[in-house]
Amino acid sequence: MTGPSDDLAQRFRAALPDTSDGDCPPADASWAAAAGELPFERVRALVDHAATCARCAEAWRILADVRRAAAADAAETVPGARPVPGPAPVRLPLRTRTLVPLALSAMAAVGLWVMLRPPPLHPLPVERGSGNTAAVRAESPEVQPARDAMLRWSEVPGATSYNVTVLTPDLIVLHQAVGISGRQLPLPESVRQRAAGGGLLWNVDAVMPDGRTVASPTFELRLR
Amino acid sequence: MTPTRGGDSGSQDPDPDSIERIRQVLIRAVERHCPPALAAQREDLVQMALVRLLERPRGEGSNPRGASYLWRVAYTVVIDEIRRVRRQQRQAEQLPEGEQRTPGPEARSELLECLGALQDRRRTAVTLHLEGFRTAEVATALGWTEKQAENLVYRGLADLRACLEGGDT
Repeated sequence: MTGPSDDLAQRFRAALPDTSDGDCPPADASWAAAAGELPFERVRALVDHAATCARCAEAWRILADVRRAAAADAAETVPGARPVPGPAPVRLPLRTRTLVPLALSAMAAVGLWVMLRPPPLHPLPVERGSGNTAAVRAESPEVQPARDAMLRWSEVPGATSYNVTVLTPDLIVLHQAVGISGRQLPLPESVRQRAAGGGLLWNVDAVMPDGRTVASPTFELRLR
Repeated sequence: MTPTRGGDSGSQDPDPDSIERIRQVLIRAVERHCPPALAAQREDLVQMALVRLLERPRGEGSNPRGASYLWRVAYTVVIDEIRRVRRQQRQAEQLPEGEQRTPGPEARSELLECLGALQDRRRTAVTLHLEGFRTAEVATALGWTEKQAENLVYRGLADLRACLEGGDT
């Protein structure tokens, strides 16, 4: 990161305690958060944890680099996609926004960019909550009897299979089923026992023939 | 808890070029962000993680995997590997008699206290910013527009600086 807050970033790193990672959330939860797959409260909880744990903060910094490279990689394989989900070309350092002359320059640049920008871009694959959220819907009730709980979702035209992840409300992955050809999944007994009387989160990735993944939002399920 | 997996990487082997690109990115990221003692092992560490990724059992599925899935799994196995190496290092450090660990940062950090005092949305945005996320990436993670994210990072940083200088947040 470069910019006027570099000094704060360095102080932030230096201030974090070198804690044990016994209670750290799984790395996949951080990826899901960064991909926009989780509701704000969940992301906030993960980010707040990283603000007390040097190891998780380090994992988030690695995550930022890796996701940026993944986005650039996807852009190479999806013609027309922008290489990095980063700032627009006219983005200014934060502090300069208070300076009128630069602000005027920025406004002029924004106007220029709006006029000259390329046509709308393809969304990047697997960006839950950032464009594909309407593609997959939950079709099973949000409240179900624990004994017969079943996850059902809408069809994604052209999908070759579906992957389903079931998590606890605090983002512990309880079950992952991969390569499902149908559009439903009976909740496994072990998961039902774990979640008896409580809530669960679940989401679906539809796998397309070219390997891209269309991701659903995260759905809730309550067992009674 | 270890995830219960219903299957894994499907019938297609990952493209070797993709794996090599991912490997290089992970090595650079570990080198850039991990302490020197760990960064010195970056190649072995990433290699071990990728071996684990490629050796994961095949399951019920026969679906081709997208490149984005590969990046995601590669990231998680590398973080798991870093945590495993650290656990081993901690256990090794505990063996010598009476040896003291390197003191950590001060117990009470003014910066962390000021960060913790920010409003929820500003704190979350600023923390991601301090961890290297760009405005657009903060917006994606939090489901906001880029403009909202930029405003919240900007105002959060201003609050943080004011707090550090003795003002109110």
